[in-house]
Amino acid sequence: MASDLLSIAASGARAARGALDVTAQNIANASSEGYVRRSLRIEELSGSGVAGRNADISLSGARIAEITRNADPFLQSEVRRTGGDLQRANTELSGLRNIESAIEQTGIFTSIVEFEASLQQLAGDPSDPSRRAAVLAEATTMASKFEITATALDAVGDGLRFDADAQVTQANIFGSELARVNLQLTRAGSGSSDRAALLDQRDQLLERLAGFSTVTTTFASDGTVAVSLGSTPARSFVQGGTSGVISSAQAPDGTLSFAVDGLAVNPGSGSLAGTRLALGALVTTRERLDALANEVATAVNAAQAAGVGSDGSPGQPMFAGTTAATLRVVLGSGQGIATAPAGSPAGSRDTQNLANLRTALANDNPAKKLSSLLFDVSSTVAGRNVTQSALQTIASSARVSLEQQSSVNLDNEATNLIRFQQAFQASGRAMQVASDIFDTLLGIGR
Amino acid sequence: MINLSTGAFYERSTQQMSVLRARAETLQSQIGTGDRIERSSDDPVAAARLRMLARSERLATVDTSNSQQAEANLLLADQSLVSIADLVIRARELAVQGSSATLNDEQRKVIGIELKGMRENLIMLANSRNIAGHALLGGQSTGAAYVDDGVTAQFVGTAAVDALEIGEGQSVVPGLTGPEIFEFDTVDGPTDIFSVLANLAAALAAGGAGAAQASSDALASLDTGLEKVTTAQTVIGARLNWVDLMTERRENNAERIADERADVGGADIAVTMSRLQETLTVLEATQASFVRLANLSLFSMLR
Repeated sequence: MASDLLSIAASGARAARGALDVTAQNIANASSEGYVRRSLRIEELSGSGVAGRNADISLSGARIAEITRNADPFLQSEVRRTGGDLQRANTELSGLRNIESAIEQTGIFTSIVEFEASLQQLAGDPSDPSRRAAVLAEATTMASKFEITATALDAVGDGLRFDADAQVTQANIFGSELARVNLQLTRAGSGSSDRAALLDQRDQLLERLAGFSTVTTTFASDGTVAVSLGSTPARSFVQGGTSGVISSAQAPDGTLSFAVDGLAVNPGSGSLAGTRLALGALVTTRERLDALANEVATAVNAAQAAGVGSDGSPGQPMFAGTTAATLRVVLGSGQGIATAPAGSPAGSRDTQNLANLRTALANDNPAKKLSSLLFDVSSTVAGRNVTQSALQTIASSARVSLEQQSSVNLDNEATNLIRFQQAFQASGRAMQVASDIFDTLLGIGR
Repeated sequence: MINLSTGAFYERSTQQMSVLRARAETLQSQIGTGDRIERSSDDPVAAARLRMLARSERLATVDTSNSQQAEANLLLADQSLVSIADLVIRARELAVQGSSATLNDEQRKVIGIELKGMRENLIMLANSRNIAGHALLGGQSTGAAYVDDGVTAQFVGTAAVDALEIGEGQSVVPGLTGPEIFEFDTVDGPTDIFSVLANLAAALAAGGAGAAQASSDALASLDTGLEKVTTAQTVIGARLNWVDLMTERRENNAERIADERADVGGADIAVTMSRLQETLTVLEATQASFVRLANLSLFSMLR
């Protein structure tokens, strides 16, 4: 088969057009999320010589062989892994920070100190009704601060659980999307631009999924992916065109557990793992706060029971409730504060029982205990802060290396634009030559 | 070949600039508040220390007010004691006069009346009130310290005054009880100044030979009584000194706490300012170079 200059030139022009299209597509998507730079592989088209005419020139120009996606699977899996770690650290840190704020900003520490101070002030003159009223007022403030803190901690837990539920829903959506992409990938022609777009989608979905939990991926040669979630053991989530269902369940203490198709799974990394860690810290903090509220109430009530109020009647409990959320003042008036020991007459200025109460409180030392609770939370936050910023650096450098490798460089695209424009013009020139040759041949007969 | 992607360039630049910006803002808020620590997690150890310092500062203010109350009560007791001592001295003078053989019964009767009046004054002083309106010399009781039937004055207060905390685990007893001032032992057994005066006044009023003898007998008792009062004055003086000393210590302590707080949690303005300047300079340079690099595009060359 002989060559045909015009069709060779036409095929060159077509290839150059295709290359220009790809370049324009790259430029247009320079800032699209998850877009991987495409490039065109152009290959020569030549027929082999026919028997007996082996010496013939048999050239057919060029054709677009495939559109390649310049993605490095290793860098992509690094981005997924480090991104999951970062998400876990972010979620845990923000949960812990909220816990810290709940305890610190409600001013519960100050209110405990004020209560102590008011008792100390009462010791100065136990028969002063205004000092008695001050003790009761500070006790009420302290009880309500305990309650506010408990409510704030509950709100932190609610927020974390709400987020986790939303993330579970999203993860399920991503799973079914992945299954759909898998199906389409089996139908897409190899090397087509359609396939490249689907692969982009696939990688983007995988990356988002990795933000929720550890993902283990197995890629098939047709580009489809099988995904397992969690670690030790990983549970199969997406297999070909089918995806499983992630669910979350809340334990009575407010912590969450997750399952894929009913099989319990440990998220390992990602925001679901972070939520679990933060909820665990929240439960511990809540328990310590409840214990503290209970200790204060018990110490004060025990001392109250051992003395008499300023009217000589036996001391009644000052606090009711055994948890931070239920702690409240039940003593009606400052008269009832039992400053004098049992058996003292009405109006006694004896401060023995008040001294016992203060000693009991000092031994219990709620201010110090609260301070150490706050210290534990805040030093955890400080530690996680360091971890988080290290993970952030790691994750962002993984992302930057992936982007450097896979995303669009406008300077390169500008060069390509010039290069392929020239190739197109050159092919056009070749057509011109073919036409000239044809004209020359036609002109011979005249 | 390394592909320098445009997206990566923008991402990196944004990250660098936002890190610098966040750092500048942190420094700015440190300068604005004067505190290095915005929330506990900025420096957990220092924050815990600051909390404890704030607590001792708060409790020290109560100590101060308690100590001022103790001081006021002690001063009141001191003033009463001065008046009591004056009265006892005057009573002794009268007893000396009464014992003189040159006086007749009429004159002794007049002295007896004066002594009776002085005894009443003494009872009133013994029942004076402290700054909170309670019996100054009645211990922890709320009402009067003495109930008087004209002959014997019965002490109805408590046996002791409760000590008051004045900081650093120290305390002071902010007053004295009546028996500590008025009761003493004589050769005839325990008695108090009120009975001595009542008996003397009665003897002088009765007149006769026993009156002069009773006056000279009372002298010894009045001397012991005066001694008791001056001893009480010394005790009060010593306690006032103790309160003064503790006030000074508390002030020093407050200064130490303020110092430590500034050391632990305060932002050093000079250092913070220069750090802020440094950060801002770097940020400006980064922004300027970012703009120049971002302008470098081949597309601007294509015509």
